[in-house]
Amino acid sequence: MSAPLLQLEGVTRRYRMPRTALFRPPPVLTAVDNVSLSLNAGQTLGIVGESGSGKSTLARMIMAFEAPDEGAVLFQGADLNRLSGADLRLARRRFQMVFQDPFGSLDPRRRVGWSIAEPLRATGAEDSAARVTQALDQVGLRAGDAEKYPHEFSGGQRQRIAIARAIVTRPALLVADEAVSALDVSVQAQILNLLMDLQEEMGLAMIFISHDLAVVACICDRILVMRNGKSIETGDTGALIANPRHDYTRSLLVASGLET
Amino acid sequence: MSGRLPVNLIIGAVLVALVVGVAALSLVWTPHDHAAMTIRNRFQPADATFWLGTDQLGRDIVSQLMVAARNSMTVALVAVLIGGSIGVMFGLLASALGGWVEDLIMRVADIGFAFPALLFAIMLSAVFGPSLTIAVAAIAFINIPVFARVSRASANQIWTRDFVAAARAAGHGRFAISRDHILPNIAAPVIVQGTIEFAVAILAEAALSYLGLGAQPPSPSWGRMLSEAQTLMFMAPHLAIYPGMCIVIAVLGFSLLGDGLRDITDPRLKRRRA
Amino acid sequence: MALTQVSVAFSGAVALREASVSIAPGARLGIVGESGCGKSMLGLCLMGMVPDAAQVTGSIRLNGQELAGAPERVWRRHRARDVAMIFQEPMAALNPLKRVGETVMEPLMIHEGLSRPAARARALALFEEVGLPDPAASLRQYPHEISGGQRQRVLIALALACDPGLLVADEPTTALDANVALRIIELLVRLSKSRNMALVFISHDLAAVSRATEQMLVMYGGDIVERGPTAQVLAAPRHPYTQGLLGARPGLENRGRTPDGRRKRLVTIPGTVPPLFDLPQGCRFSGRCGQEFAPCARHRPQPTALGGGQEAACHLLSPLHAGRGAA
Repeated sequence: MSAPLLQLEGVTRRYRMPRTALFRPPPVLTAVDNVSLSLNAGQTLGIVGESGSGKSTLARMIMAFEAPDEGAVLFQGADLNRLSGADLRLARRRFQMVFQDPFGSLDPRRRVGWSIAEPLRATGAEDSAARVTQALDQVGLRAGDAEKYPHEFSGGQRQRIAIARAIVTRPALLVADEAVSALDVSVQAQILNLLMDLQEEMGLAMIFISHDLAVVACICDRILVMRNGKSIETGDTGALIANPRHDYTRSLLVASGLET
Repeated sequence: MSGRLPVNLIIGAVLVALVVGVAALSLVWTPHDHAAMTIRNRFQPADATFWLGTDQLGRDIVSQLMVAARNSMTVALVAVLIGGSIGVMFGLLASALGGWVEDLIMRVADIGFAFPALLFAIMLSAVFGPSLTIAVAAIAFINIPVFARVSRASANQIWTRDFVAAARAAGHGRFAISRDHILPNIAAPVIVQGTIEFAVAILAEAALSYLGLGAQPPSPSWGRMLSEAQTLMFMAPHLAIYPGMCIVIAVLGFSLLGDGLRDITDPRLKRRRA
Repeated sequence: MALTQVSVAFSGAVALREASVSIAPGARLGIVGESGCGKSMLGLCLMGMVPDAAQVTGSIRLNGQELAGAPERVWRRHRARDVAMIFQEPMAALNPLKRVGETVMEPLMIHEGLSRPAARARALALFEEVGLPDPAASLRQYPHEISGGQRQRVLIALALACDPGLLVADEPTTALDANVALRIIELLVRLSKSRNMALVFISHDLAAVSRATEQMLVMYGGDIVERGPTAQVLAAPRHPYTQGLLGARPGLENRGRTPDGRRKRLVTIPGTVPPLFDLPQGCRFSGRCGQEFAPCARHRPQPTALGGGQEAACHLLSPLHAGRGAA
């Protein structure tokens, strides 16, 4: 087997909190504590945890929005935080992200087509009009929708637009941070099916982050459970659901209705 | 109900339209030459020829007020545009770079805030001699920290939004994001601030002219008309009243317009009305 | 409490269409639906808190007393004592400048006329009842000092302060983490049983409703489309919308892969919930329903009894179209 697409090696991220007292050092919050993982091309990995478990911070580090204090994020063998600005920009074509809030992740003042083409312009790719049309088609929207503004769409359609923007550069990795959590159940199912379609058609690797184990289990090969910044359990989806080793994992199973 | 515009916006817009309209009209027409002195006609009461009468040198007051409105608008516009552009640039820069750059820019802005505009204008005049250009420069200067603060505060909010994160994921750098996403999304609060600062600039121009640091004779100005009328206060009070009223109308108009614009652009207020 | 044929409309947009609900003392009723289906509006009807701009018709009876169209003054007498409500966002519902103990003591002193020490003792007992750790210390804390789950417990204590006969919980667990949500549901069920207090549990989350309630309503587009015992409806849904909603929820059965190696897909309902002013005239679900036929778009289906207390409003199930339904 070739080298993994994405590899995290002992990644740690700490935040300095506001001082509580003048002469005491400010308290430090360890948001992500020594997490390692690896993901092969075309694989799907779920990251499950509750708010404050560090899963979103982990996503931000995978996206190279922020650098880890310790450890390294390797994408296709290259340490993202050692790349030059231009190289990182080019590398971004290969990994993209879908955000939670479909009403916040699109600039309200820009036409949809403009937003979808943004990754193409930013990374210096060409032929944007045809690529935008193709991306819209892939997510089940019409080519004419490129001329509209985000407020003309429903939440589910906006999430489709956000996905179109994420796949327009034909990435190898898609990071979805609570990408269906803000949607109604029936729309959530449509988006999950769409992500499965794209994953299979494009051979995408996916990191799917959610608080809802049931959602993660239906789309992911493997699952990593996070709590208080630490990775507490990881394994194949089937095995993890059938045989959770950690009590916390079991409680998440109960909460998501997979076990009673 | 939801379609109704706020009252302050309507009144403000009407007053502003009046002042701007008069200023624009003075470009092509005034009842008399505003600078023509006829000693025979000094202290004429209001009549069909001189609608608001004449001053101590026999000049037509209406014509002077009209030309002064034009001068006042020009000074305010140029000063706010210059000060605003520089201020917004600093604000965007502070917000985009963060860290010590942001701290430095904002602390300098704090010092600029603490510095009285009049003192600055007097200093400049002492060095370069009084002129309209100095007045514009002084007013523009005091606007820089105001706009820097407003645009930085608004920009910092926009920077936390997901679509900015999405633009970063797309591969854009901080400056491209500032240009493509931040600037269009902070335009509304900046325009509101600009309208309010316009009122402040009119007042500042009047104050500088009153002190003789603004428009130089024969170019008329509301502030200088006031100061000239001061010595004749008991003999001809109308010479002070009319320019004073012009200042009130212009300042009130732009202030109300700015308030009204804020009411319709602020999303929090919008939600409350809906 | 009983609602009969209650409709709520906003200048042409129907938020609730002829809904009839009755709630017996101690009953636990779930109301399920997606955003914009009218479930929150139904909750507000129970509280007499429908927005002023809405026209309300029908009858709302509380312990036999007619309250439809009653002025705010009358409703205020019943709120807190007979009907109380908790909301989705516990932080927004608490005054950030007040200690939580004070917040709970206030209605006790105003409505029940208790002295300060007596109110404090009652608040302490309530905090114990809702399972706050260290209730005495909690009384003195501010909302920002406690966790989301504890805030929701404080709000439940506040709702219980005047011993209501009915508690309306509108998405009480949506903003909470899964484990915490589970504890809150257990608490609500326990309180309903121990106090013989009726509970109306409004949620989009089928798993939460199945845990919290005995009876349930499924709403779509302002209509009640299906109702019955919770376990029975979830095990054998009869309305196409309920079926779609259940199928869309990821579970064990739609996990894994089909023989050709592709991942199993979820059942979906095509399209999105239409806005209130653009609902179809007949069955609200027509246009999205996979089994639609002639009468659906024009005629409103009436509820058909299906045995065991379950009923659903769908033309497929009505005796008039029996042949069609079997096909």
